[in-house]
Amino acid sequence: MSVIDQAAPQQYRHLRLNVLRYDPRHPAAKPHMQEYQIEEADSMTLFIALTEIREHQDSTLQFDFVCRAGICGSCAMMVNGRPRLACRTLTRDLPDEITLAPLPFFELIADLSVRTGKWMRGMSERLQTWLHAQEREVDICRIEERMDPDLAEQIYELDRCIECGCCIAACGTAQMRQDFVGAVGFAKIARFRLDPRDTRTDDDYYELIGDDTGVFGCMSLLACHDVCPKSLPLQTQIAFLRRKMAAQGL
Amino acid sequence: MANETLIIHAGLADKSRKNRWPARFDLLQSSTGLFLALFMWAHMGFVASILLGESAMWTITKLFEGYFFFGKSYPWLVSCVVGFVALVFVGHALLAVRKFPINYRQWRAIRAHAKVMRHEDSTLWIWQVYTGFLLFFLASAHLYQMFFWPQNIGPFASSDRMWSDGLWPFYLVMLLAVELHGGIGLYRLTVKWGWPNASRQTLKKVKWALTGFFLVLGLATLAAYMKIGYEHRAHAGERYTPDWAVEQAAHRGDGQ
Amino acid sequence: MKTFMTDVLVIGGGLAGLRMAIAARQRGHETVVLSLVPAKRSHSVAAQGGMQASLANVTKGIGDSEDVHFEDTVRGSDWGADQVVARMFVNTAPKAVRELAAWGMPWSRVRGGDHEVVINEQRVTLTERAEAHGLIAQRDFGGTKKWRTCYAADGTGHAMLYTTTNQAIRHGIEVHERAEAVALIHDGERCYGAVVRNLVTGELIAYLAKATAIATGGAGRLYHVTTNAVICDGSGHAIALETGVARLGNMEPVQFHPTGIFPAGILVTEGCRGDGGLLRDVNGDRFMPNYEPEKKELASRDVVSRRMEEHIRSGKGVHSRFGTHLWLDITLLGRRHIEHNLREVKEICQYFLGIDPAEKWIPVRPAQHYTMGGIRTDHTGQSPWLKGLFAAGEAACWDLHGFNRLGGNSVAETVVAGMIVGEFIADFCDKPENDAPFPLTLAREFVQREEAKLAAILDGNGHENPFQLCTEMQHIMTRHVGIFRNGDELLDGIAHLQRLLERSAKIGVSGKSRAANPELVATYRVRRMLKLALIIAQGAYLRTESRGAHFREDYPRRNDREWLKRTLAFWPDEAASMPSFEYEPLDVMKMELPPGWRGYGAKDYIDHPDTPCRQQEVDATRSRMEGQGRFAVQEALMPYTDKLPASLTGRNERLDEPLETSR
Repeated sequence: MSVIDQAAPQQYRHLRLNVLRYDPRHPAAKPHMQEYQIEEADSMTLFIALTEIREHQDSTLQFDFVCRAGICGSCAMMVNGRPRLACRTLTRDLPDEITLAPLPFFELIADLSVRTGKWMRGMSERLQTWLHAQEREVDICRIEERMDPDLAEQIYELDRCIECGCCIAACGTAQMRQDFVGAVGFAKIARFRLDPRDTRTDDDYYELIGDDTGVFGCMSLLACHDVCPKSLPLQTQIAFLRRKMAAQGL
Repeated sequence: MANETLIIHAGLADKSRKNRWPARFDLLQSSTGLFLALFMWAHMGFVASILLGESAMWTITKLFEGYFFFGKSYPWLVSCVVGFVALVFVGHALLAVRKFPINYRQWRAIRAHAKVMRHEDSTLWIWQVYTGFLLFFLASAHLYQMFFWPQNIGPFASSDRMWSDGLWPFYLVMLLAVELHGGIGLYRLTVKWGWPNASRQTLKKVKWALTGFFLVLGLATLAAYMKIGYEHRAHAGERYTPDWAVEQAAHRGDGQ
Repeated sequence: MKTFMTDVLVIGGGLAGLRMAIAARQRGHETVVLSLVPAKRSHSVAAQGGMQASLANVTKGIGDSEDVHFEDTVRGSDWGADQVVARMFVNTAPKAVRELAAWGMPWSRVRGGDHEVVINEQRVTLTERAEAHGLIAQRDFGGTKKWRTCYAADGTGHAMLYTTTNQAIRHGIEVHERAEAVALIHDGERCYGAVVRNLVTGELIAYLAKATAIATGGAGRLYHVTTNAVICDGSGHAIALETGVARLGNMEPVQFHPTGIFPAGILVTEGCRGDGGLLRDVNGDRFMPNYEPEKKELASRDVVSRRMEEHIRSGKGVHSRFGTHLWLDITLLGRRHIEHNLREVKEICQYFLGIDPAEKWIPVRPAQHYTMGGIRTDHTGQSPWLKGLFAAGEAACWDLHGFNRLGGNSVAETVVAGMIVGEFIADFCDKPENDAPFPLTLAREFVQREEAKLAAILDGNGHENPFQLCTEMQHIMTRHVGIFRNGDELLDGIAHLQRLLERSAKIGVSGKSRAANPELVATYRVRRMLKLALIIAQGAYLRTESRGAHFREDYPRRNDREWLKRTLAFWPDEAASMPSFEYEPLDVMKMELPPGWRGYGAKDYIDHPDTPCRQQEVDATRSRMEGQGRFAVQEALMPYTDKLPASLTGRNERLDEPLETSR
């Protein structure tokens, strides 16, 4: 039924993927780079390339993909030195030689697979990233509380974070200090601070991020801002939080 | 106070109201940095007066020594300024060093990070660490010298220091370090606290333009002092007094 | 043997699972959630367009109510839905939306005053009521009479999942991530938990619980082109099936979403068409009005997908090197609208197609999207065949969706079923008679059995490759059990699948690690997927009619006389190469909405003998009770409120339907 286009056959590139391999459960094997060769295809993503390698060349290669559509945040990895979502990285945007490594900072499971989820959960618990609405019993049969449509959009804008871990992997501070909350944490705080339904004050937020593991630890290197796959306005939000938290010290 | 100490000692510091000092430290680190960077630019302006001639530089020097207010030079006035700057400097260094890598593991991590990421702002920070570390020694030495021998500032005295005392390499390194450190630091302040309606690209362009300007100015100034020092090498140690001041003094002497 | 004991074990960390967990936890039961991936990465996150709930805030939603939502849902299901469940659902949906709002969900809001929208290619000015300003907004979706789909731009699933997960974290609900339930522990009558494999270390652990709830989502990966995440392989369906007693309901209807981007199959939301986007063919012509003059692009998904494939068959598809597709045109919505309300769509087009959808048309073709079938439960979410086993969401056949689910009803189902089933799970755990002692010996047997299965895979020296078998299965399903089906093709497909099932016994794996081993995982998963594939294919073959998403070219008419019944599949003999089937009739005489024409799609169908009689009864009741209010009429036709947990029986307030202040 389908008709194949009669266009002239295209010359496909030969890609070389250098993948950092290491399994902490087999520490005898030291971390090393392993090269895989693969022929490029049209609109090939790193998801397609890695899946093909696993299915045809090396079934032991470990990596994580879930939605493969750039929305779940599972597949962040270092692609030629920068943290990116592998599933939506097209090979045609990369050179012939592609170097893949796991995100730094996070606990390594093996090869390209890291435990971002566990760290994010810890961050959520630590920063209490849920709406705090004290003494307010909402009757869900009743008409909901109103909210300005523009404000709702702004909150959604900050809510778009997918907790992929790119900002943490790109953060110089986090590389040095394991207890730093990172841009993802600041984005969460900024989001709840903006939300009028949350009854917390700056005094409360200071308890969460008012020290060097929090906003004062940020050295404003802003790689987080530059690599965020969702283009969150991290630079302005962190600066804003810094001003608000610094005001607490006055 | 004793209660608080006990609470901290019991490991319960996190459970009581969070200390406000981190906020103040952060503000202080930024404000001392801002002060030092602006001071450094002004300072560069003063020393660059040599480019307008020896007499211009002498005038500025004497101005700071209070000569034009009191009719007499009081170099300790300069010492006072130096002392204040040194205090701010030490404060800034103490606050800033908290952010430095404190052990080999951290140092290795941040270096590898900057290398892998090739991210300009991150690399610039490494440079700030390098230059800050250098300044810790260079600027300290310089401030020490200026504090105890403030009288040794002047067209000939400064030039002799460059040439006859052979300190020009010291000043060359310090110039590069201070301009880079200050320029990057000021740019960092704008993104750290926010600068309305300016993109990071724009801010960075302005930053590089300013750094470039002050580096050129600084190198020219250094060259000028070296040239004077070279020409003055035979009389090293002799102080400069402009002819008009000599005449004035002579005139006053005659009157007496 | 490592053992973990809890009150409630929830398998699946998506919206349905988490919402059940929260309900159980709030009632004081210790609850643990198992998830293949971190909870916030569950496939719920991918729902874009929105969630249906009859809030009636926007102008185009005025007059909406539970009644209209109910009718749309039942028509959408092609009368396959359980109408009592549909009633429970529509009454709870507004509560779920409002609860999420109270939890911090950033719903998009109504802006009072004039705004321009695109309806049927025309720019139309709508005026929103001033008193609705700031209330939760609704957009148009397929198969609905009113604008009813509440949304947060086009990241609704993401925002809902994050809001809900954050609440779960707030309640301290543990999520054991990278853990896969590989078997249910049961004695043929009662479920006691699951054997769980740690996907990192490979360790098997017995999780014992009073109540076990499955919320593992769909089985889209049975098909070659699907919008589903790579983890959606029906593992929850499969472990229930492998008990040999639990039944899967209505597995043969499979929903194909009209707008998967071509060829990757990544979803672009129905909101594109809801907001005014059009489908175009090779000539750039809009073709849907020719097929569906009334609902056009916004007929239900089964209908639109079928019409698209029909149009492609008539030679009007666009040929490309990957095959044939059609166009989705949203350029007419304007850049501002796309950049604010369809942001994810814009990103997907940018990253996967390299196009700007504000300027260029999007290549689309229907892609597998939703598994209507699932673990058959009663209205409380419990399996009638295995006490203590619950299910909710896409993994369940609660039977809200029948043979076709409406857009916006799936995320709605996750949270609504989560609320309702969660309460019933708590009730179940509260009852002393359910305090059965944990059967440790039984658990040990199950762990050993799974251990032996894994060892057999690792020690086997077969030559088949699990990835290869999986790909073959996906192609067979797409080709033989896709949008259009017929007897011969199905038989052919079934034979193929059976051969694959045989071959899957001879898989050999090269990596022998017991820990994280992708090949090992692929092996045990593909065996289960093949069983589900056979259930779908055989169910489709047996059902000699067309209903909802199940379309038989050789039996194009809906046949209520013979087929107004739910397919139940089970696999009593593990060694068998074919599932067993039985059927559960739907009682027309109890329906609030007797079968009729859906309002779109084919108009001819074979009536059930009871239909005219029931229709007369319904009509008579309606005319007799005229003026008594819609609630009384509804109650007389099909009482359901006694089925709901008491906390969820309240009526829903609307601007035009205020509640008495006495409440």
